[in-house]
Amino acid sequence: MAEVLFFVAGSGAIAGAIGVIAVRNPFYSVLALVSHLVSLALLFLLLRAEFVAAAQVIVYAGAVMVLYVFVVAYVGGQDEPLGPRAGSGLRVVSAIFGAALFLELSVATLGSGLQLIDSGGRPVPAGFGSPEEIGSLLLTKFLLPFEVASFLLLIAAVGAVVLARRRGGLSNAEEQARYSAMDILRPAYTGTMAEAVGERHSLPPGAVVTKTPAEAKAAAEAEAEV
Amino acid sequence: MTTTLAAVGFAEPWYVQIIKSVVLFLLAVQIVPVVLLAERKLLGRFQNRYGPNRVGPFGMAQPLADIIKLATKEPFQPSTAVGFLYALAPVISLLTALAAFAILPFGDVATIFGQEVGLYGLDVGIGVLYVFAFGAIAFYGLMLGGWASGSKYSFLGAMRAAAQLISYEVAMGLSLLGVLMMAGTLSLTAIVEAQSNMWYIVPQFVGFLIFLTAGFAETNRAPFDLPEADAELVAGYNTEYGGSKFAAYFFAEYVNILVVSGIAVTMFLGGWQLPFVDPPGWVDPFVVLGKIFVFVFLFVWIRATLPRLRYDQLMSFGWKVLLPLATANALVTAIVVVAVG
Repeated sequence: MAEVLFFVAGSGAIAGAIGVIAVRNPFYSVLALVSHLVSLALLFLLLRAEFVAAAQVIVYAGAVMVLYVFVVAYVGGQDEPLGPRAGSGLRVVSAIFGAALFLELSVATLGSGLQLIDSGGRPVPAGFGSPEEIGSLLLTKFLLPFEVASFLLLIAAVGAVVLARRRGGLSNAEEQARYSAMDILRPAYTGTMAEAVGERHSLPPGAVVTKTPAEAKAAAEAEAEV
Repeated sequence: MTTTLAAVGFAEPWYVQIIKSVVLFLLAVQIVPVVLLAERKLLGRFQNRYGPNRVGPFGMAQPLADIIKLATKEPFQPSTAVGFLYALAPVISLLTALAAFAILPFGDVATIFGQEVGLYGLDVGIGVLYVFAFGAIAFYGLMLGGWASGSKYSFLGAMRAAAQLISYEVAMGLSLLGVLMMAGTLSLTAIVEAQSNMWYIVPQFVGFLIFLTAGFAETNRAPFDLPEADAELVAGYNTEYGGSKFAAYFFAEYVNILVVSGIAVTMFLGGWQLPFVDPPGWVDPFVVLGKIFVFVFLFVWIRATLPRLRYDQLMSFGWKVLLPLATANALVTAIVVVAVG
């Protein structure tokens, strides 16, 4: 059973990886990458790394690839197949990196002496690869890399917000106009006509609307540029 | 190597595992028509009408008639559709929903004909992460269905559904973190055992509410049923689907309702445990089923009561209310667990 699963997952992973670079339609290319990642998760399962397998599917196949699919489905299509646009310099560099990776993996594989190739593998201690084990390792032995990685993610998240603001994607004034303290006092979006056109939903009686939404937006954009 | 895949508490013979898979599959296939009928009957009562009452006694054969109608329809696909993906997408939805269903624990280990059998499909060490993993793959069922239909309405519907699913998945996962920290384990059976003194709905009430709200959104149910807002948005990813392919989507959605209800029962309502009484082992599955049906009733009740949200309300609610609340809940639980334990 394990052998059959190994060959199914292994050939799935290789076929997926080849599909990513061989297929011309970007959408199918992304799908090939998804199947590659799911096959890798199967291989992790065979190595008794349940948590890594689940994380692989949830994070890579589930979260990262979702964004790829979004972008490719929106902007790329069958009309614009991927062409060979790489220059000669890029080709040389990619060949060097590919060869280096191949060498590294060959050394690692051959370095093990291939002694376990016909056995069931080394025995693993109880609880190996379980969430408990990985959690305690992350908080003791690998605490520093763990914290550094979390800072990296935080920086990436902040960077995304900064970039979106610079391009005017998130206008501060507009956000404030739509979410005020009055939202807490009165159930927000209870369905007034004013809301439907983007006005504040709780103007006091007799209040004069000085700016139309378009004017407010223009003012906010002018402010953001300053 | 006694077990090749995820470790189970004890090694069951291969035939027990096969029998269990078949039984679970049949169980899911049998419950869904009951849920379907219950929903239509209850909706009828909520709206002061009878609901289906023509086919069979009290309209009880209505789901059967629906299934026969859908299964005998002519297979049709738009000329713009991408053939194999169009056919594959409902299969992915159905497969992932049924796979997630397999993890629901219906009882403890029981002895049947002298053979120890766990009354669950499988009890993996990663527990609820298994459900989220299949939820992540289920996304491709909707996405591919919408994309492969070759229709703008389907495509936009799939995008809408996908954005909703990934938004609420985060809050859903965080809401369960409190329970996991209190139980100190991810295994669903162990979580049920840990609730023998008190159901987690009491200390984790906020987490329960967040989970339930996110669960409504994850299963595309009212008031978050924008992916298939049939009245105003031309349905969604399944616009171009008909016949048995549509039935597969429909079936998967109802299995997902059962999965979310089952996870809620396991995580917050003590699974197969009853307060003050300790019934014999064979009662356990019926206790779980009964609790699941309480949630199914709640799903219908909410659908009959609340109007649909607008799309921007849906997004800002998920990211600006549910997610901070779930994070705060996890933080407070962590502090309390450390301070008490």
